[in-house]
Amino acid sequence: MRGEPGASYLAQVWAVARKDLLLEARSRERLVAMATFAVLVAVVFSFSIDPTAVRARSIAGAMIWVTVLFAGTLGLGRSFALEREADALTGLMVAPVERGALFLGKWLANVVIVGAVEAVIFPAYALFFGLAWPAGSLPALLAVVFCATAGFLALGTLFAGVAAHTRMGETLLPILLLPLLIPVVIFASSATQRLLVGRPVAEVASQLRMLAAFGLIFLFTCTALFGSVLEE
Amino acid sequence: MSAPAAAPVLEARALERWYGPLPAVRGVDFALSRGEFLTVFGPNGAGKTTLLRMLCGAVRPTRGEVRVGGEPTHGAEDEGWRRRIGLLSHQTFLYPGLTAAENLDFYARLYGLRDRGTKVARSLESVGLLDRRDDRVRTFSRGMQQRLALARTLLHEPEVVLLDEPYTGLDPHAAALLNGVLEALRDGRRTVVLVTHNLSQGLELADRVAVQVGGRWVSDEPRGAVDAAGFERLYTERVAAAVGGRAA
Repeated sequence: MRGEPGASYLAQVWAVARKDLLLEARSRERLVAMATFAVLVAVVFSFSIDPTAVRARSIAGAMIWVTVLFAGTLGLGRSFALEREADALTGLMVAPVERGALFLGKWLANVVIVGAVEAVIFPAYALFFGLAWPAGSLPALLAVVFCATAGFLALGTLFAGVAAHTRMGETLLPILLLPLLIPVVIFASSATQRLLVGRPVAEVASQLRMLAAFGLIFLFTCTALFGSVLEE
Repeated sequence: MSAPAAAPVLEARALERWYGPLPAVRGVDFALSRGEFLTVFGPNGAGKTTLLRMLCGAVRPTRGEVRVGGEPTHGAEDEGWRRRIGLLSHQTFLYPGLTAAENLDFYARLYGLRDRGTKVARSLESVGLLDRRDDRVRTFSRGMQQRLALARTLLHEPEVVLLDEPYTGLDPHAAALLNGVLEALRDGRRTVVLVTHNLSQGLELADRVAVQVGGRWVSDEPRGAVDAAGFERLYTERVAAAVGGRAA
């Protein structure tokens, strides 16, 4: 072992993310559960809204983000279950892995998995509610989705780590997480809404800046705090 | 003038761990040199696992410190000391959904090993699992999983090997196989700490023996000073005396 250089920070992040993605690609248990839940919610909303009384287009932004939030929370609960099955979390803690790298690896895998579910949610809502995004707004929409998802999953991954240490973990996770995500949901819904109704991209610049700020703050804070969360 | 003595490879100084008002480990002191094999015996709830988890850095001591190669581990800026330690527990730390080779490759990446493919193959061969390298761990028997866990523990060639009840759940054949591999660890290069309540298996390999009861060490002596035949009686007496002392 002497003379081995040790893994770089990025290599550690990639090793953890790669492992989580490989396990998800094999089992697909989180993807299937989240996507099924999201499509069911879209179906329920589509039947419950009277199109003569409410313009779906004017509330679709909020519905989409509530669906992303609940479907994502459902999957986050399982994120650390992978590490608990044979106490693999102890194996990670004993290994020479930076706690921040471990967090970012789990976060990155969650971003890819929830991103895949979002790729189902947006077309599902477009289908059920007859939505069409103006072509010029797509880059701004992608930026909103990325920033909101990054911030949501930074907090979510941290709290999933906290919940993994408790017996009532999966019940505790939404209670801890959802109140803190209200600002992200408000800005993401509002920006998505404006883009849906064809308002100019410049009109969502302030929401996008706020989402980017929340995303960065959550990501840096949670990366720094993750070590303390892991310590028993 | 004689040369200065080398720093102990593994050292515990006044090590303590409390969970709220409950002590798990109290005032444990020891120093192990390169090549030493220490067995710590103790009844259930003696705090043996907590001691081992503090030694490997999975649990932070409430008081005292652990030193690896003379350097304190807690608060160390460099996590490099972790590369000098390997932990084998009755839990395997493996991912059942990955294959044997993928599990080892994952740990090889975390430890930053060069030439991962060769090292993974060599490790699998050393525990007799090379022909099962592409099978998922979920399909392995308990004995095979424990052998793979041993390969994971030794993959990065640690100087200090910590063993936490490694025989748990193994049938006699699997235990004998594990014993053979552990015997090979006594090569004078590795320092080993084994915690167990299995007297015969623990004594067979040790060259130093300690007994932990209620978080404290009530005995610590060289294996040579221990009469194997009388050890069981002695162990029972010491545990009873320590438990009686606490109750009084």
